[in-house]
Amino acid sequence: MTTPTTARPPGGREPATRPTGRAAPRNGAPRGFLTVGSAVALPVRRISVVIALVTVALLLVAATATLTLGRLGVSLADLPAALTGGARGKDAFVLERLRGPRLVVGIGTGAAFGLSGALFQSVTRNPLGSPDVIGLGAGAGAGAAVVALLLPGTVPVWTGALAGAALAMALVYVSTGSGFRNPGRLVVAGIGVAAIATAIIQYVVYAVERDKAAVLTAYVNGSLAARSWDHATTIWLVLLVAAPLTALLARRLSIGEMGDEIAAGLGAEPRTTKTLAVLLSIVLSAGAVSVAGPISFVALTAPQIAKRLTRGSGPHLLLSALVGALLLVLADLCAQQLPLFENLPVGIYTMAIGGVYLGSLLLREWRKGVL
Amino acid sequence: MTTTTHDRPSGARTSRTGTARLAYSLVAGLAVLVLAMLASVMFGSRTTSFGDVLDALSGTADPYVTTVIESRYPRTALGLLAGVCLAVAGTLMQGVTRNPLADPGLLGINAGAAASVVAATAFLGASGTTDTMWWALPGALLAGLLVHAIGSAGASTSLVRLVLAGAVLSAVLMAFIQAVTLSRPKVFDSYRYWVVGALGGRDFDVFTAVLPFAAAGLLLALLLGPGLNTLALGDESATSLGANPALLRGGGLIAATLLSAAATAAVGPIAFVGLAVPHIVRALVGVDFRVQIVFSAVVGPALLLLADVVGRIVLRPQELMVGVVTAFIGAPALLLAVRRMRGNT
Repeated sequence: MTTPTTARPPGGREPATRPTGRAAPRNGAPRGFLTVGSAVALPVRRISVVIALVTVALLLVAATATLTLGRLGVSLADLPAALTGGARGKDAFVLERLRGPRLVVGIGTGAAFGLSGALFQSVTRNPLGSPDVIGLGAGAGAGAAVVALLLPGTVPVWTGALAGAALAMALVYVSTGSGFRNPGRLVVAGIGVAAIATAIIQYVVYAVERDKAAVLTAYVNGSLAARSWDHATTIWLVLLVAAPLTALLARRLSIGEMGDEIAAGLGAEPRTTKTLAVLLSIVLSAGAVSVAGPISFVALTAPQIAKRLTRGSGPHLLLSALVGALLLVLADLCAQQLPLFENLPVGIYTMAIGGVYLGSLLLREWRKGVL
Repeated sequence: MTTTTHDRPSGARTSRTGTARLAYSLVAGLAVLVLAMLASVMFGSRTTSFGDVLDALSGTADPYVTTVIESRYPRTALGLLAGVCLAVAGTLMQGVTRNPLADPGLLGINAGAAASVVAATAFLGASGTTDTMWWALPGALLAGLLVHAIGSAGASTSLVRLVLAGAVLSAVLMAFIQAVTLSRPKVFDSYRYWVVGALGGRDFDVFTAVLPFAAAGLLLALLLGPGLNTLALGDESATSLGANPALLRGGGLIAATLLSAAATAAVGPIAFVGLAVPHIVRALVGVDFRVQIVFSAVVGPALLLLADVVGRIVLRPQELMVGVVTAFIGAPALLLAVRRMRGNT
């Protein structure tokens, strides 16, 4: 299992039909497996490592900008000392209460959404098979809205969000009649379920008084404002549990992307793998939604960007998580610093950016005649 | 991948029995519409009887009851107008795009109207229905054109592409709307009452303000009916029959936009009426667009008014807005339609 053998088992069979130079490592670039014991074997290419490192560097830059920019920012010169425990007064407040937790929650949530989307898209072999499209966001919003209207104060809003998300996904799964496989049906069923959920949200926003309505609207869009260290602990615990399990699945998933028959022939038990991957994906999304609300489009775009960066096959789990974190931290930086609109929930920025990106992606796919 | 919207060949309709059947169907449809209008003035937080309505119409009813009933006239009139507009717009769009999933809501036209109204209210201080109407039009038209352009890029216009393009555009426009409304509490307040889609709480001024636009759209739709029939045969056949497909499409899109902008400006974005009514009408009367447009104008308002009455009854003494009711009726219908979709379309 751990030996760096063939990186692309069926590729050798008919090399002429493969898009050479894309799926296969270029110029015979060295490719091996990162092994942990005998259970984990992650395929690693040098180009992937470089891209991952660049993403981490960008993430660090974005994180520094988040902490230092603006009226309340800690000045760049003071930052190293402040981070190592020397912060006092205003800086301590900003780091410990305002932007510190917000940043840590943002990174964790973005990574969770990215990983969740990568798992889901790998299983469905469908670029649109993302938790956003299958009604997770809208369902979570509707659940939160119902809880806020009917049981204010008694039940935490995030439990409603989780229940709503689960219900919406189940509804989409049942109503397509073919699971999450067919992109066309998935999209239309997702739109139908989202329409019901949106109607519920709009009714609640109409029925409650204005200030509550504004708070609720911010929540259903997904917001990172006023997060505490409790939120950070929650999302990082979820990641800590889910990430190793995902790594265990990684190899089986990349075999699974070759098709059920090949996967079964290679002993990868496609059914079990898929069920586990979908469960993990839902746990990750649910964790992210419970701390930050249904932030849209991160789970959909992060794996797509990761795929385009490495130009390789496979689920790109780690890179999707990194790109997700980077996207969300950048969007939140916009939310905090752009002078145009003040204090908007970050979900509105991801919706705008993700919508434009998805539009351009679709245009390109259609020109090629895919979908 | 283009899917034609008709399911059986025309021709049977032209026989004498067919015409008689159409006449009966039309009378039955009108009867349902009248009943729906009656129900709309009878039911509410204080229910009145049929006798009360007759008394109120002849001016002999108790003044209190008369006030109650008269207070329901504007919403009934608005329901009538919006129902006609949405249903005919849906029929036109499904005919022009030859796509059974075409609907002003799904294709982003309502979002376009909403975005431009919100922008005008927030930045230019527009207010009142006439202003709103004029601002809803360019947004709706632009969104319609954009979705059509994105959806028909590449080789062929597929059924899902247009819907997907509509969803993408709606997402971007929603982000803009939310950004503007959340940063301006006053705009947010009026927006949340408008976006839910309600017939109540509006008066006759709204009706008279949007009437000219609705009438223009309807007239255009009726003029286009015969042309749309040839378009359903395919572009080549339409050209050989002397029609101009590009002109027909453009005209149809403009009429549909006028109608849906009028409905959206009057009562807010209401989804699914434009999607569902054409399907019901096609099942009833077949594929002739001239007939379809007339029947849509009868079935649409009947459906919308009945949905409004249901919304007033289920949560009494509070009420559920008609936009919420239509979503709850229409979305399951869409989900059922998904199960019947074939292949990867």
